[in-house]
Amino acid sequence: MQSTQSAEARPAHNPLKNAYFGDLHLHSGYSMDAFAFGTRTTPEDSYKYAMGETVEYMGKPQKRIAPLDFLAVTDHAEYLGVVRDTIDPNGPFANSEWYTMMTNPDPAVSASAFRKLIGSTIVNKPLPEFSDPKLVRSSWEKYAAISDKYYKPGKFTTFVGFEWTSAPQFQNLHRCVIFADKGPAMPYTAFDSLDPEDLWRYLESQRKQGLDVIAVPHNGNASNGLMFSTRDMSGKPITRDYADRRMANEPLAEIIQAKGQTDTSPALSPTDEFANFEMWLYLIGSDKKANSATGSYLRQAYGVGQEQQAKLGVNPFKYGIEAGTDFHSGITSTEPSNFPGSHGNQDSDPKTVITATTSVGGEPPTALSSGGLTGVWAEENTRESIFAAFKRKETFGTSGNRIKVRMFAGWNYPKDMTKQADWVKAAYDGGVPMGGDLTPKAGATAPTLVVHAIKDPDSGNLDRVQIIKIWTKNGKSQEKVYEVVWSGDRKPDPKTGKVSAVGNTVDVKTATYQNTIGSTELIGEWTDPSFDPNAHATYYARVLEIPTPRWSTYWAAKLNLPPNPNVAATVQQRAWTSPIWYAPAKP
Amino acid sequence: MDVADLVRAGETIGVVFCMSEVSVGVIPDEHDSAPPSEPKSSVFPAVKRWLREPLLHFLVLGVVLFGAYAYFQRGRGGVESSKQIALSLDDLRTMDIYFESQWHRQPTPAELEAMVEDKVREEVLYREALAMGLDKDDTIVKRRMAQKMQFLAEDVAAAHEPSTAELKAWFEKNSNKFALPSRYSFRHLYFSPDKRGKNAQGDAAKALAKIVGQPEDSKLAVSLADPFMFQDYYGDRAPEALAKEFGPQFVVALEKLKPGSWQGPIESGYGWHLVYVDTVIPGRIPAFEEMEPDVKTAWLGEQKQQAWQKAYQQMRAKYTLLLPAPPEPGAAQAPVPPPAKKAPVPSGEVPPL
Repeated sequence: MQSTQSAEARPAHNPLKNAYFGDLHLHSGYSMDAFAFGTRTTPEDSYKYAMGETVEYMGKPQKRIAPLDFLAVTDHAEYLGVVRDTIDPNGPFANSEWYTMMTNPDPAVSASAFRKLIGSTIVNKPLPEFSDPKLVRSSWEKYAAISDKYYKPGKFTTFVGFEWTSAPQFQNLHRCVIFADKGPAMPYTAFDSLDPEDLWRYLESQRKQGLDVIAVPHNGNASNGLMFSTRDMSGKPITRDYADRRMANEPLAEIIQAKGQTDTSPALSPTDEFANFEMWLYLIGSDKKANSATGSYLRQAYGVGQEQQAKLGVNPFKYGIEAGTDFHSGITSTEPSNFPGSHGNQDSDPKTVITATTSVGGEPPTALSSGGLTGVWAEENTRESIFAAFKRKETFGTSGNRIKVRMFAGWNYPKDMTKQADWVKAAYDGGVPMGGDLTPKAGATAPTLVVHAIKDPDSGNLDRVQIIKIWTKNGKSQEKVYEVVWSGDRKPDPKTGKVSAVGNTVDVKTATYQNTIGSTELIGEWTDPSFDPNAHATYYARVLEIPTPRWSTYWAAKLNLPPNPNVAATVQQRAWTSPIWYAPAKP
Repeated sequence: MDVADLVRAGETIGVVFCMSEVSVGVIPDEHDSAPPSEPKSSVFPAVKRWLREPLLHFLVLGVVLFGAYAYFQRGRGGVESSKQIALSLDDLRTMDIYFESQWHRQPTPAELEAMVEDKVREEVLYREALAMGLDKDDTIVKRRMAQKMQFLAEDVAAAHEPSTAELKAWFEKNSNKFALPSRYSFRHLYFSPDKRGKNAQGDAAKALAKIVGQPEDSKLAVSLADPFMFQDYYGDRAPEALAKEFGPQFVVALEKLKPGSWQGPIESGYGWHLVYVDTVIPGRIPAFEEMEPDVKTAWLGEQKQQAWQKAYQQMRAKYTLLLPAPPEPGAAQAPVPPPAKKAPVPSGEVPPL
């Protein structure tokens, strides 16, 4: 049968929600540092690439295997779009040091330009040649209009965004700012203030003008303990008001991106054998390592947040989870087998990258990960529906793949609920989805959590689903990782409860793997075996894939070189859900 | 009466109050004067064609701007013309609106006067700077002026509202840009490697033998397969959307299947499938009417680009570039024109290096 093709129908609104994937953290050539690295992509290229079109990056055509559903280009607000004039041989910078540095083919020279630019934000002294307010405004207006232009409701969603680049003494406090619909008159920069509380003031004033907006902090791992500190910028202990405002402005945190993951570190979670994954130990734009893991990672912050909640009445770190790339290439290229590098000339030459042991950013460029993606559960692919998911934290983060995972919690879920065809509806009706609060219930013995994970159809099978519990009592927090459901017929160790490794099918030399181990889908119900109704608890799920080649291993195989010894040759890609929280009833 | 009252009353009386030697006046808005009469273009097709010419628009606009500038420079009243600063009612309204957008209330008379004084300060300093020649050899000024030339050329292109016939004709020539992909509707049976391990493909092949000739909604077919985590039926999907859902290899195989019977097994990122394609809507070029808004956007983009290229090329043609000659032994150095080269056309974007 054939029929005439009419314009493609807009997909129906799904009250039980679909998973959509996107990136809320991406830099194009409009970012000062990306431009210094030789990245010449524009935000238009970024949206086109995300939608599945071919764009040019570092002189080569690039195309995603699987297009994305949404994207926010978040160029650095400082000098946004105005540094691009430096390479014009007839332009205003023709005879200046900027021209020489920006057009120099040596990555070390462009890195020094980057240092100078980022340095001016760190010492908070804007370079006057890039700060003419008229130029900045005209550049911003163009930039925001591009985001509106590529928004196709029902098909592809764009958000107006920018990155606020605050990093006092190279300690990263960066936030990406994402608007619900129309963008603001002007972005807020680190020159305006380095203090997150001032950024929140800006967001609050935008909301008063009818522009809903959130900020998403990232790279606590490069913050030297500043990101999840219990003191404010002036060194005073945080207050209830601070906690309220932090959560009103920042519902989500970014758990992984190019410069490493912020879930946890082996130092903080010594019994978690999967903690050592895509670590980035350096401060931002610096060759110095962070001194402190404490205050830098989300998992620990969930516990500290509960301790604060017991004191202040509000949890200041009740973050939902998303993930992004922070690529400075203008393209969200998170597919390891299809990875063109992510930081312009800093990691575009495969041979240098595979053999390098040092770099301008501290870590060698191989240490950059192939990024992350944000997943949301939303009724339809529109700004309204997806932004609402951000705000209710019905989100998850992945290490760049498209694992679909959702979690619910309830007190009275029937046994084997997930065997029913309409279990999702029952899970919503009888409990809360991830991002929600499980409120105390008199007489209830323990909550049941349900997790459902489906593999990325273009990546490795699934190894296991775990629930990570952080509980707090009498001002003390503890964490434990529970195995919920796993592939094959492995049995948990009777002593530790741990399930053995899934195996490894990767052939490093050819950078190939087989989906002969692992599962396509894992679904499990888990009832907390040590629930204490008088303790605060945060529960989130982690889904692990079977080992697959890391992006750097694909590059090494192509060059017929051994993989760089500084990084793992194979990785277990993963996804993390937003938590579900429990707080005891007030006595 | 103060300036704020004046703005609110919408009056157009000229008020002049002195600020040292510079006077400030409120002048009638330019659009208050009668518009020029429309040319009877139907009688003169050549004129009509000319009127569409971006360069002409560009030149005319230039003349108008020059005339307006000369008029304001000449000024009115007894004060030396270059010492008058004229603010129109629109200028004052703009200040008023700007203030309101920032503060969510109307400015007080004092605040509005302060804004006027800021504007005057900027204008005074600007004129004094011009008089001292500070605009010369200033790269920021040069860059801004160059940018304005481009905006001007692009605005001229954008000012012309295309007729439907015009868009249609353009669409005919550029219809490939709007091609729609093929779309597939199909039902599938899933054979899960989680449940069947290595036998998933073989089980699917065996099931196919049993359901050959069965209709799409066969109960037998469903009884042989495993439940699928998403949908059993996909209606009207483009290959790209299916690749996202099932993995790219599935779509390559799907595109080869003949509609109207159970076929397979084909592999997806989740396992093995038998597929009954019921409808294929071949890819096609859509009708103009379906795409008119998109066509207009694309048309406008091209017009801007072309108008700017053309305007620049014509300006560039008037100039000759002199470069130093390569030093030759014994020869005195003298500027000579370089070999004729095609003028580079700025695209408005930085070219990739």
